[in-house]
Amino acid sequence: MPTHPEKVSAIVSAQGLGKQVETAAGQLVILEDIHLDIAAGESVAIVGASGSGKSTLLGLLAGLDQASSGRIRLAGEWLDALDEDGRARLRGEQVGFVFQSFQLLPSLSALENVMLPLELAGHRDASTPAAALLERVGLGARLDHYPKQLSGGEQQRVAIARAFVMQPKVLFADEPTGNLDAATGQRIIELLFSLNAEQGTTLILVTHDDQLAGRCQRAVRLDAGRIVP
Amino acid sequence: MSLAELRLAWRMLLRDWRAGELRILMLALIIAVTATTAIGFFSDRLQRAMVEQSAELLGGDLLLQSPREILPEWQARAAELNLAEAQVLEFPSVVLHGEALQLAGVKAVDARYPLRGQLRVALSPYGEEIRETRIPSVEEAWVEVRLLTLLGMEIGDWLELGETRLQVTRVLTFEPSAGGGFFAMAPRVMVNQQVLAAANVLQPGSRISHNYLFAGEDRALQAFQDWLRPQLEPSHRLLDIREGQPTVGAALERAEQYLGLASLVAVLLAGVAIAMGARRYADRHFDTTAVMRCLGAGQRRIMALYLPQLLWLGLIGSGIGVALAWLAQFVLFWLLGDLLPTNIPAAGWLPLWIGMASGLTVLAGFALPPVLRLRQVPALRVLRRELSPMPLRGWLVYGAALLALALLMWRYTGSALLTATVMGGAALALLILGSLAAGLLQLSRLMHRGVGVAWRYGLNNLWRRPLLSISQILAFGLTFMAMALIVLVRGDLIDSWQTQLPPETPNHFVVNILPEQRDAFAALLDQRAIAHSELYPLVRGRLAEVAGEPLGNRIQPGDEGAGAVYREMNLTWTDTLPAHNRITAGQWWPTGGPTDDVMVVSMEDRLAERLGVRLGDVLTFSFGAEQRQVRVTSLRSVQWDSFQPNFFMIFPEQALAGQPSTYMTSFYLPLERKGELTTMLRQFPSITIVDLDRLMEQVRSILGQVTLAVEFVLLFVLLAGFAVLYAALQASLDERLHEGALLRTLGASRRQLRSAHLAEFGLLGGLAGLMAAIGAELIAWLLYTRVFDLAYHWQWPMWLWLPGLGALLIGLVGYLATAQVLRHSPLAVLRRL
Repeated sequence: MPTHPEKVSAIVSAQGLGKQVETAAGQLVILEDIHLDIAAGESVAIVGASGSGKSTLLGLLAGLDQASSGRIRLAGEWLDALDEDGRARLRGEQVGFVFQSFQLLPSLSALENVMLPLELAGHRDASTPAAALLERVGLGARLDHYPKQLSGGEQQRVAIARAFVMQPKVLFADEPTGNLDAATGQRIIELLFSLNAEQGTTLILVTHDDQLAGRCQRAVRLDAGRIVP
Repeated sequence: MSLAELRLAWRMLLRDWRAGELRILMLALIIAVTATTAIGFFSDRLQRAMVEQSAELLGGDLLLQSPREILPEWQARAAELNLAEAQVLEFPSVVLHGEALQLAGVKAVDARYPLRGQLRVALSPYGEEIRETRIPSVEEAWVEVRLLTLLGMEIGDWLELGETRLQVTRVLTFEPSAGGGFFAMAPRVMVNQQVLAAANVLQPGSRISHNYLFAGEDRALQAFQDWLRPQLEPSHRLLDIREGQPTVGAALERAEQYLGLASLVAVLLAGVAIAMGARRYADRHFDTTAVMRCLGAGQRRIMALYLPQLLWLGLIGSGIGVALAWLAQFVLFWLLGDLLPTNIPAAGWLPLWIGMASGLTVLAGFALPPVLRLRQVPALRVLRRELSPMPLRGWLVYGAALLALALLMWRYTGSALLTATVMGGAALALLILGSLAAGLLQLSRLMHRGVGVAWRYGLNNLWRRPLLSISQILAFGLTFMAMALIVLVRGDLIDSWQTQLPPETPNHFVVNILPEQRDAFAALLDQRAIAHSELYPLVRGRLAEVAGEPLGNRIQPGDEGAGAVYREMNLTWTDTLPAHNRITAGQWWPTGGPTDDVMVVSMEDRLAERLGVRLGDVLTFSFGAEQRQVRVTSLRSVQWDSFQPNFFMIFPEQALAGQPSTYMTSFYLPLERKGELTTMLRQFPSITIVDLDRLMEQVRSILGQVTLAVEFVLLFVLLAGFAVLYAALQASLDERLHEGALLRTLGASRRQLRSAHLAEFGLLGGLAGLMAAIGAELIAWLLYTRVFDLAYHWQWPMWLWLPGLGALLIGLVGYLATAQVLRHSPLAVLRRL
């Protein structure tokens, strides 16, 4: 694995990243020539208009999708050197996710949703840390509730607890407040940032909300698939 | 797969169950297993009962008839195999009462007789029948009622047999191991074997039939038969319960085939339901799987979590199904207690294991492909919900299902031909029906212009997803087809049995009618309005040579059927081909006899096959010292279970000219007119009347049971069919709820939605019904002509009622199932999904 001393501190690094898809109308360029280094513990907002390629970039950086060109290093490993199962392992060990649509499993209770990553990693006692984290996000009394019995804000808090329960090095958040009203969104943001500070996690979030972007240490602006200053 | 993974998979299964995700899959599986296993248990027990009844007719599980005592080592071998054995001696002897004497068939039994079944007797002529648990003592003789008539005796009178005197104490009404066929003409006297020495009736050279009855475990019986058969001589006859009673054997065989076919259909239907349930399960787990992949689960891990779930689901569902099936057969036998024999043997363990194996096989064949698809769910789906795994390859889905079905079908029917016919028919039908469904769907677009907006929306639902619609039309079409087939085949099979035994089936055979009595006897029957068959002449003769070879060369050792022709046969002459006979090769002679060579014969085709006789071969018959040669000019198939006089060999009159003959016939006399038999015997003392009612009763009761079983099985097939309907509707319910909610948000009225659903489901059901009619016609034709050997006729009413019923049923069920769409508030539905 090649290492570059000057970039050792970068926990996420993209070099010459591009993504094209074939459509009926010909090749569509979604991302082009993206260079990006994000240091451990940094919080970065990826902003831009709808269709600018924000979510695609997030998916690539998190190893959910494969780039057409360029390379990505995540938590010390080159993603292109890993197969899908290798990337899944890396995600399980190092990465947490928060999604706009929460992505809670409807058949699992709040507690079980948070337990799931621990269980997948083979932890013997998954319920203690999961319950503790749910307590921390203010849902200690609702451990046995199912997602459909929870409000949007509560569901997102469960999702945040699930994202932090593995103490990930990097947390990817895709429009985490996109489905919530302003007040609830604000509380979710506070929660996200305070947990982030407690655990020293690197936070990469996609948003079109400038106010939310302003809370991050740095904003990367995308326009038509390219980073603009 | 680690222990931790297994534990996690188990927890995930429990969570899914609690959340209601598994109900359809589980329900379909339980129905599949319950249906097939209940059928398995039921037919297992019925079969045991029928076999026991047949054994009752035979008096044991196995009967060996021999002209002399058998080798001691044969008996030793039977004892070694733990087979019970009883000996019965049969011989003709004259019995006397005062001045009157009569040739009787004596049956001397030992204390172990009968090994199976019970003797039934009456204490007075035509009196109430009772079960007798002992055999006659050394001072008793039990006789058939006609012997009383012939000798002018009453119960309590004394009878002389050789040098002993025996008191007649019972009238025999049913004796296991009646033996000798219908032509045991002499009236029966049953005595204890111990009286024979004192009676001194058996001289060296006496014509005695030594009958050895054996009973025991199936495996031991089989081993004994396998060991014995190669050592048998042509004069030996070895009968097991199937061969012993050809009528029962044929009915049993058809019933088994039918039950096998029906359980297969139930499996097919439940399989479709399982496939639908599994698809919905997999679809609803796409998101879950994508999230799990985000959380670090690789493909192998995903499978390590889902496959054990499927296995546990299979074990639990099959377990419940087997348990329910066990209860179901109990309830059924309890309900039918009055109709069935009192002691139905308990079911074996085999159906249980087969049920479990069937459940797992069906699940693997129908549910595995959709679940395997979960392996392909991309992690990126968490960001882009429209990303679904690649659709399944057709060959994988159908291949797995077909393999599972073929395996099960083969197991149930035990018949490669039946399996191949049904599978071939189904595959062909699937192909044809698939393209037909597509064509019909296309055609139905013509309706588009003439209907209102609600109907158009409903019909659009069908056209929008042609593949889904075609698969649903096929699924329902197959369900209807299966049900139609079951109804059709059931009706025709039962009809064919009942037409075989019409209400006035002859219940008496008369033999020993002298030629000079012939016309008078026929006149008597006609005068008393007793329905009877023709009077056939009987000539006794022996087949000596076939195409110049001694008969012995043509008979395989141990071929009891052919061995029967070794003895003297009953030959007859007539110019009219008897009813229930069909010429299969050659030509029947014209009335008045053949025009050129009169020395010809018409031979029963199966016997001809056994002896290797072809058309044109010359047969030599011996009549005492005289020999006659005849040429085979036709082969006939004979319906042996018609209860009409049937013959292996029929000649033109000229070919048997000059041979002494007597006449025989069969007639029907209802129970309440039995007394007329006595009058008949008084008027014609020399004739012998054989009462068939007892035997017929047995046959009827067996057919009755078979019919009942068939109806019971139909119930399960219907149940499986409804499981399919339910699973299919559940599978598309989420989407419908969502769309319905959206439409209502956009201002659609309840009435409009209702019409839309009715239009959609009605058309779906109608098209499925049409498919079903086409498929059922095709498969029924194959089954009738290739498997059941029944005449086929065009089933036109089906073409009307199937589409109508389909539209009505699917329309109604679809309407009811989607009522939820109207019941819930749109907001609640939209938020829930």
